Amino acid sequence: MLIRSRRQIIIDNIVTHGLLIFFCLIMIFPVALSLMTSFKTKTDVMILPPRFFPPEWTLEGYIKVFQSDLIPIYMPNSAINALTATILTVILAAFAAYGFSRFKFKGSRALQLGILGLMMIPGITNLVSYYKLVSQLGILSTHLIMILVYTGFELPFGLLILKNFFDAIPIDLEEAAKIDGCSTTQVLWHIIIPLSLPGLFVAFLLILVYLWNEFLFAVTLLSANEARTAMVGLYDFQTSFEVAYHALSAASIIVLLPMLIIFILGRKTFFRAMMEGALKG
Amino acid sequence: MQVSNILMNRKSFIWLVSPSIIFLLIIQIYPSLYSFYLSFGKIKGGQYSFTGLKNFTRLLNNSDFYESLARTGIFTFSFLLACIGIGLILALLLSRCTKFTTLYMTIIFVPMVLSEVVGGTMWRWMFQQSFGLVQAFLNPFINNVSILSKPWGAMAIVIAASVWKQLAFTALLFLGALQTVPKELFEPAALDGATRSDMFWKITWVIIRPTVLLASIMTTIRGINALGLILATTQGGPGASTMTEAVLLYRTAWQFGRFGDAAALSVVMFLINITLGIVYIRLMRES
Repeated sequence: MLIRSRRQIIIDNIVTHGLLIFFCLIMIFPVALSLMTSFKTKTDVMILPPRFFPPEWTLEGYIKVFQSDLIPIYMPNSAINALTATILTVILAAFAAYGFSRFKFKGSRALQLGILGLMMIPGITNLVSYYKLVSQLGILSTHLIMILVYTGFELPFGLLILKNFFDAIPIDLEEAAKIDGCSTTQVLWHIIIPLSLPGLFVAFLLILVYLWNEFLFAVTLLSANEARTAMVGLYDFQTSFEVAYHALSAASIIVLLPMLIIFILGRKTFFRAMMEGALKG
Repeated sequence: MQVSNILMNRKSFIWLVSPSIIFLLIIQIYPSLYSFYLSFGKIKGGQYSFTGLKNFTRLLNNSDFYESLARTGIFTFSFLLACIGIGLILALLLSRCTKFTTLYMTIIFVPMVLSEVVGGTMWRWMFQQSFGLVQAFLNPFINNVSILSKPWGAMAIVIAASVWKQLAFTALLFLGALQTVPKELFEPAALDGATRSDMFWKITWVIIRPTVLLASIMTTIRGINALGLILATTQGGPGASTMTEAVLLYRTAWQFGRFGDAAALSVVMFLINITLGIVYIRLMRES
């Protein structure tokens, strides 16, 4: 240990925790304010001076949201797009990552770097060509196009995480199984998949949260109301609800809740992935 | 790692890898090439006609392009500085505390889990002209004008909101790096009478510097391409005061329907990103 007096250590502790609590309050304030606003009445949203806590707790905002298209149409759309694309990405990425991890070819390294390079290209530079291509094909506003675009976009990221996981699984096990007469499919099914479940889970969670929240592809490629996702719906509420911030806040809370629950349940996974730099893309 | 031939042959490698490669070729590579094609022509009535460099010359002669470029610079630079600076302070604080670490991390992480649209909605509400809670505190200092209606104010809010949303990323990345710093190094240094700042710059900083560098490039890339949160908070306004290059691209295409010009801008942004991406991959391989 460092040579420090007891008093100094106590002061250090107070300063550290004090600053962290201060940071946490700032970080959570916008969310807390929205949560409080969501329980206000329409008139309480517009009192002067504005207050943090609702003077009278009500579900008025939530009722208004339940009457909108958010829950019957937009949220199911988000769930279908995000879940399907996430599962597809994890399956495709798992196969490719396993191939890259277990088999060294000339050009395999270059191929991997190329895929990593794709991760550096943000979606925005492809927005215009996606829009043009998709409208020519006549598949604007479909689940199909969102699933394809999302899968293509998340594939490099999934591949990177899963390859790191596969690299960490010792190869001896597979070789032993092979010598005992297992086929590749059997090896994959009985050894690799059970051992890499934690890795598949990490990839699944991170990609799902990202895609549920995705906005740019959704707002540009989905024009029909019945195809809109929750984020596009919420974006439109900003104009249609105007100062009905109690409803807007309620909608925000409803939309963020599923991912918040997933995050809180799997928070250790998220932190580990983050600290190890899995999100370096 | 030596891989035996018992395990696999070339054929199964191709079977495993090709679905992803084909997918990426169709969904990522082809559209990227297509935006180059679009940038050299114009579409009228569904018909493409080649116009050479016309889109690019129009873009480069447009003052909007340069003003947006300057705004992108201001936005990205402030975003980068705050994310790295505050992120590092947070990581150092977190690495020093032994209790409640997970609780603090969970709270700091929340803005990363919510979407850009939700974040934008929350920040707009805080600074809403008459009923925004934070705006009410600021009113006496800025003559009851919404801070979001001031050009500098809107830019500051957009930067603050973006930093708020992204901070956990750099903080936790740095925390991971800090945990690789061997504690044994500090004791002899302390015995030699080194001060805390000495120890930080001479030991900690040297070890975490590669991570800081990587995080800086990633944050720069995100800053240059930031769009969703800006759209949800200010939509590029008031006027054009938060219209970065990315917002300009979005507006050119979807507000004014000038897809050729937008494609040219996409190509310019693509080249900027590729350059940064190459630097990133170089650094990644070195570390």
